Amino acid sequence: MREEEIPYKGIEGIPIIREPGSAAKVNRGSWRLVRPVHHSEKCTKCKICYIYCPDAAINWTPDGPDINLTSCKGCMICAEECPTGAMTEEKEGA
Amino acid sequence: MQEFKSLKDIPEQDYFTGGSSACAGCGPSLGLKLALKVLGPETIIINSAGCMTLLPLYPNTPLKASWIHNAIENAASTAAGARHGLDMMGNGDMNVVVYAGDGATYDIGFASLSAAAAKNERIIYICYNNQSYGNTGFQWSTATPYGSETKTTPRGKENPTGTTIVNKDMLKIMGAHRVYAATASLAYPVDFLNKLSRAKERDGFSYIELLGACTAGWNYDPRLTIKISKLAVRCGMWPLYEIEHGMLTLNKDFSELKPIDEFLKMQGRYRALPPDGVERLQALINEHWAELKEYNKQRYV
Repeated sequence: MREEEIPYKGIEGIPIIREPGSAAKVNRGSWRLVRPVHHSEKCTKCKICYIYCPDAAINWTPDGPDINLTSCKGCMICAEECPTGAMTEEKEGA
Repeated sequence: MQEFKSLKDIPEQDYFTGGSSACAGCGPSLGLKLALKVLGPETIIINSAGCMTLLPLYPNTPLKASWIHNAIENAASTAAGARHGLDMMGNGDMNVVVYAGDGATYDIGFASLSAAAAKNERIIYICYNNQSYGNTGFQWSTATPYGSETKTTPRGKENPTGTTIVNKDMLKIMGAHRVYAATASLAYPVDFLNKLSRAKERDGFSYIELLGACTAGWNYDPRLTIKISKLAVRCGMWPLYEIEHGMLTLNKDFSELKPIDEFLKMQGRYRALPPDGVERLQALINEHWAELKEYNKQRYV
């Protein structure tokens, strides 16, 4: 059942989050010490980095992974798990 | 039933976005991201107080599915209530999923979990097990394995072992409720998603326990989350198996287990565990593994 079908008579001023997935706008990039860099020439498009990203900061496109640096917290699981070394790390601010 | 054969089969839709306040490299948060790929947006997630409670922080949420947060004691009873409510409103297709930590599952919320399982309510209960009360600073819970150091079981001259109590065998307890019970690991996402997809189709209670590696509590470099999860399975610390109607199936069978040392060395919580402690832990693991091998494809509970 959708929201408009239910007459909601809640308490006034109750905090309701109306936009699903709104945290995607929040910048967590400042948490990073290192950032992942993708090298498409070495990539075999195995999807491992995309599946193992705990922050859904890697989006999958037909051309391979697309890193969203707003959400990436720099845990570097992608670089650690990449079987071909197509994901490397770079110091932030260097 | 949706079946996945390899990583390439895993759906590309995400109902979980970044920007949450979980730690970098958080295991449980990855578990929820993977689970929502199978469960989809028509899901109500019920969470009892724990690390994952901090995902939706007003005014933002990383979730594209509904979320109920409630007290640590009653996640399973809230889920049962939500299930009955949805069924009465004709929304029987919606999934009701509990995502609760091990403190809420093993200790505080155990009564309501046991009741919901005994009544065979049609809900999926996922326990993300980080083997401690991680949210409050890594205190001992009954899921903490032997030899692990926690804030409430520190190592010292009197007690060099840390945790001296052996953790509960929760899968056996849940298996004895005659429900579907399974363990899962983040390093084996295909296995995890297949178990979830099976649980989704079942007309009854399903219990899935996921080892959620905790970078802050277990004290390791965040990049090793998957490596550690994989090692836990390979050395028998976290065997992958399922129990249905009391029958045990070992999902990942190895002819020989890796020694525990490599797994222990990677984590700060086991640093300075004396050799006799390592020996005892290895003996406990071997005993459990031998039991699983013996009862594989047979009646277990």
